[in-house]
Amino acid sequence: MRRSRFTSIWVLVILRSLLRSKRRTVLTVLSLAVSVALVAVLQSVLFTLDSFTTNPNSSNRIAVRHKVSITNLLPMRHAEWIRRQPGVEAVMGLQWFQGVYLDRSNFFPNFASEGEYITTLFKEEVVDYSEFQYRDFLRDRNGCLAGRALADKYGWKVGDVITLKSDIFPITVRLTLRCIFRSRKPSDEMGLHFHYKLLEEGVPYMKGRIGTLWVRAKSPDEVPRLIERIDRHFADATEPTTSETENAFQLNFLKMMGNYSAMIQSITAAVLVAILVVTANTMAMAIRERNTEIAVFRAMGFTGLQVLGLLMAEGVLLSVLGGLLGLGLAGLMAGGVRQTAGTFLPYLQDFMIPGEVLMFCLHATMGVGLLSTFIPAYRAIRRPIIDGLRAL
Amino acid sequence: MIIRCRELSKSYFRGSLEIPVLQGLELEIPEGGYYALMGPSGSGKTTLLNLIAGIDRPTGGSLEVCGFALNDLDDDELAGWRASHVGFIFQNYNLVPVLNAFENVELPLLLTDLSRAQRRERVMEALDLVNLTDRLGNYPRQLSGGQEQRVAIARAIVGDPELLVADEPTGSLDARNAEEVLALMERLNRDLGKTILMVTHDPKAAQHARVQVHLEKGVLERTVEVRK
Ligand SMILES: Nc1ncnc2c1ncn2[C@@H]1O[C@H](COP(=O)(O)OP(=O)(O)OP(=O)(O)O)[C@@H](O)[C@H]1O
Ligand SMILES: [Mg+2]
Repeated sequence: MRRSRFTSIWVLVILRSLLRSKRRTVLTVLSLAVSVALVAVLQSVLFTLDSFTTNPNSSNRIAVRHKVSITNLLPMRHAEWIRRQPGVEAVMGLQWFQGVYLDRSNFFPNFASEGEYITTLFKEEVVDYSEFQYRDFLRDRNGCLAGRALADKYGWKVGDVITLKSDIFPITVRLTLRCIFRSRKPSDEMGLHFHYKLLEEGVPYMKGRIGTLWVRAKSPDEVPRLIERIDRHFADATEPTTSETENAFQLNFLKMMGNYSAMIQSITAAVLVAILVVTANTMAMAIRERNTEIAVFRAMGFTGLQVLGLLMAEGVLLSVLGGLLGLGLAGLMAGGVRQTAGTFLPYLQDFMIPGEVLMFCLHATMGVGLLSTFIPAYRAIRRPIIDGLRAL
Repeated sequence: MIIRCRELSKSYFRGSLEIPVLQGLELEIPEGGYYALMGPSGSGKTTLLNLIAGIDRPTGGSLEVCGFALNDLDDDELAGWRASHVGFIFQNYNLVPVLNAFENVELPLLLTDLSRAQRRERVMEALDLVNLTDRLGNYPRQLSGGQEQRVAIARAIVGDPELLVADEPTGSLDARNAEEVLALMERLNRDLGKTILMVTHDPKAAQHARVQVHLEKGVLERTVEVRK
């Protein structure tokens, strides 16, 4: 009862105090908003990528790799055993080649793979192609197959020679483009495949060895059982395996490419510290110029705690205003991410700011408001009242 | 006696340097008194006023105001005591700039249990007393100095305290506005029975009080009854 009466004029004082220095308040809120938007988007990227590992979509595919790490090789004969298992539709060896085309800035995924299985294993991606071209690709040991979007990007036509110098193998391959395929979406048309045999011949230690085996189950329901079966069978082999769903595998691959999680967390921490400093500065200024007013409140009989609460509420309101605006901004940015990053990182196609991130950002800004205001506010109420009244 | 100062002393400390301001001061003010506190600059008038109003603490001696031994109260108790017993009037008015006249006057009542309607009634009474009911929506910057001080007086009396302390209430006002404020204070004393302790430099202002006390070198020099 008494509290609510109290809060009504409190809110008035707080709001009007914030508006007293409009420019400062607006600038602070804006810088908070931009920072919070950045944090929200980064955290959402992290959240979205992570959710793929725990929530696989219903792909039929399984990636099998060496248990120790993705850079350890598996013997090709593992594929033979897996092919014989019930529920398996096809198995294809695939080796990340990391070939550089002309210049390092021309990045696109390219693989040495068992091309004869590609139209089965990746039938959702390699959707539309000419049977003639595909046969030419299979017949030419230097042949390669590429997606339409990739070919368009570099102006390749069937018959063109493409030279790739590997970043991880001591070999340069001269390939002839034999087949161009189409997919349902451009992001699936950015890959290039050439024959694994070429790699095997050029790099002695790759003989009979491969980075990953891709397994296609006859139905998604078979996937968990197959994963279990494969890993159990090879558990005691010289080269034990780890099998995982396609999503989990790709995510781990991304993680290997760069520890984005640690990066995002450290950026988040840095941004939070920065907005703490900005808010603390604003609130310190706002409180300093109100020393007399604070003294008057206390002379009238308001206790130190009541005045502290008033100032803290103001700081929290300021930061939460910034936070809310920032989340709005993040919502807009999420749309942008969907349209840009979403086209080459398929994980981000349905990118949005999840509720967990909203809550995190709100709590973080509240914390920033409390923390940044507490020190100047506490100092202000510790000052003798007579000092505040004299300061004029 | 509403105010009783016994051997009251106050020193400020600048580092280890002691600056004595009040030295064994004795003062008694009866209920309903209107005292003007005079003396040269730096003699300790504001210091004494602040001690009596409970916003500063003495270094020695005892202080009883409105029936309370102020030394025995802790900071929060003292705040509560001020809220119900003392009204402040400052030289610079010290209104809250983001609140309008009505809200400024209402502010002290937020520390009471009064309902919204009761508060409104009290605020209107106080504003009526200072003759500013037509200005209740104005913000301090939209008021003249004299009007601001009258709002401040309304704020000081709205909680119905027994004691009003005023530190140079006319110090920033021109002669005409000063007269108006002084007349108002006289009425508060005469009609409402408020005890008033007013610090002033201005002998003309001091003439409005009933008793003038002169502070010099930390003690009271002389006390003069004002004849009217
Ligand atoms: N917080 C403080 N710290 C140190 N010295 C102080 C403090 N407050 C007051 N003094 C000193 O105490 C003495 C009395 O000050 P006070 O303000 O009470 O004088 P005053 O009589 O009100 O003067 P004035 O007429 O100029 O307002 C002065 O010498 C002043 O410098
Ligand atoms: Mg003074």
